Amino acid sequence: MKILLEEIMELAILSGEVLLKNGAETYRVEETMAHVAKACGAAKVESFVIPTGVFLTVNDDSGRSITTMRRVKNRTINLDRIAKVNELSRRLVDRRIDRKDAYGILKHIARERTGFSLAPSMIAAGFVGGGTAVLQNAGVYETLGAFAAAASVRYLAHIVSRLHGVQFTFEFLGGMVAALVGVILHDMLPAIGRDAVIIGGIMPLVPGVAITNAIRDVIAGDLLSGLSRGLEAALTSVAVAMGVVIVLATHSW
Amino acid sequence: MIVVLKFAAVFLISASIGILYRIPRSLLVYASIVGMAAWGITALTKEYGGGLIMANFFGSVIVGLAAETLARYLKKPAAIFIIPGFIPLVPGGEAYTTMLYMVEGRYVEGVSMFMRTVLTAGAIAFGIFISSTIYRLFINYITESKLHNVGKN
Repeated sequence: MKILLEEIMELAILSGEVLLKNGAETYRVEETMAHVAKACGAAKVESFVIPTGVFLTVNDDSGRSITTMRRVKNRTINLDRIAKVNELSRRLVDRRIDRKDAYGILKHIARERTGFSLAPSMIAAGFVGGGTAVLQNAGVYETLGAFAAAASVRYLAHIVSRLHGVQFTFEFLGGMVAALVGVILHDMLPAIGRDAVIIGGIMPLVPGVAITNAIRDVIAGDLLSGLSRGLEAALTSVAVAMGVVIVLATHSW
Repeated sequence: MIVVLKFAAVFLISASIGILYRIPRSLLVYASIVGMAAWGITALTKEYGGGLIMANFFGSVIVGLAAETLARYLKKPAAIFIIPGFIPLVPGGEAYTTMLYMVEGRYVEGVSMFMRTVLTAGAIAFGIFISSTIYRLFINYITESKLHNVGKN
């Protein structure tokens, strides 16, 4: 009986940690942990989640309880993992899978590499930049320039992500790189307007997950998480703007 | 012709954002359709004389409604459809113009463009907020009237 409670806790807290690390909303982390623990036989579950940590208390029938907290430091964005953990918790609640199998699958989800490698993601980022330039009524050359700027920003992300840098450094440097590509292309070939190139280049830096989670956390009533994620989105935008402004100011001087 | 080109661009933007944010590959097409629908409504509103803020509000209402419907229908998190849906609406051009005016010392135009950017971004956020809230109220109303007891969300 004693081992059971710890096993429940291990499974539930790992599912919460995986969700929070990969950019899930606060209420989804809390509810998934509660569902997983209840499906494994816990009598009572209380959870508390903030953007940087997970707290979970599980009670069993005899009244014993166990509390664990996990600090989440390196957050990434991987919506595929969130969808998979979501699916896993649904299967666990419907009793289509037992606890041991679920734990193995969860460990596999937490470790596996998903998504595309560097070259395809650079092309994807390039399409975001080029598409944005098309929406800005840019010409063919500006569109190609925006493609190059956005792809360079993605390459920068590849370098910076390995250095585990300070928050907002990447966004600042990304804004600088996008503006640099625009300015250099404009100086070499004056036919290319720099504006559309820079607009396309900063588009992959838009903090999509932070904005979405801020809105959805506020709707769910998690005001603390909602505000801090809104602040994250605002500071990210400011960092990108500062990067662009510095290059533009230096260029015009 | 140019409209077709822009729709293709929006499709590519949404799908590529989906790849960058690593949404499940089988859902990329759905995410792109949400983005195209939202951008189409925004462009249509602008075409018939609606302002930039109004147009983006309507576009993001479409994003919220489509994402919640798809999330319920496909049993996947709604964020998968919301993020690729609203990225084509993000006022990147206005944000850049704000920076340019500020660097050039044209502060009056800069502040006015800044307000335009912030209000547009706010309209997008508010559109998603309002449509998700109304959708949930609607769903709760249906389940409640079906079950004849208090729904527990």
